[in-house]
Amino acid sequence: MDQDFHIEEQAGSSPPVITVSGEIDVATAPQLRECLHGVIAQGEATVVLDLLGVTFLDSTALGVLVGALKRCRELGGELHVVVADPRIVKIFEITGLTSVFTIADSLESAGAA
Amino acid sequence: MTETADRLENGDRIELKFPARGDLIVLARLVTSAISARAGFDIEELEDLRLAVGELCLLTLQGSDAQQGDLRLELSVLGDAIGVDCTLERAGMATAPAPDGDEVARLSEQILDALVDAHGREVHDGSVHAWLRKHRGGHAE
Repeated sequence: MDQDFHIEEQAGSSPPVITVSGEIDVATAPQLRECLHGVIAQGEATVVLDLLGVTFLDSTALGVLVGALKRCRELGGELHVVVADPRIVKIFEITGLTSVFTIADSLESAGAA
Repeated sequence: MTETADRLENGDRIELKFPARGDLIVLARLVTSAISARAGFDIEELEDLRLAVGELCLLTLQGSDAQQGDLRLELSVLGDAIGVDCTLERAGMATAPAPDGDEVARLSEQILDALVDAHGREVHDGSVHAWLRKHRGGHAE
């Protein structure tokens, strides 16, 4: 059911960039949680999460992002979210998370170029 | 099949029942998209309903040990509105909380508040029931 979901960490980038595509929902969010927590556990306080290829995102995905943001901030860092699809941006807006996350519309503006 | 034959009319009702597993909620979203389109909702409303029904399923499953349960979804065309009723059957309570469970439930409520005209959740005799109503064209009840 999650054949459209893909996640990978771009090697050698600083800050680390995690790129996700497809649908992030209750079935796939645990993979995102594991990846984010793994990167942060390596001591990376700031992470760029590239959601440009994401076509659907639900509350479980947002819950994972909020948890990762807390971990980043405990280390003095930040979770930068890159999102451009208006449907995905809308979900951040209606949950008030645009004021919680640092949101950019391109990798360049997220400082990941 | 003509375009008229594709349409759903007032009173039409569709039921979907599947094992209450998170990875199968995508089925509820897919069916909702198809039903909403046939009930005359535009593409933006259809996307809103797809997301809202996913959240409705998550709220229905919240706090339950759904390994043995079934999720029953009932979609009804109610004039210029659609009604979705989601019921969790034959499931017990969870023995351990889901990761981020309270945060996710709060986010689900916020999403539903923004996307539909009315929604609710009740528990009766161990059966969880959550519902929503949404009108075409953003007409509130």
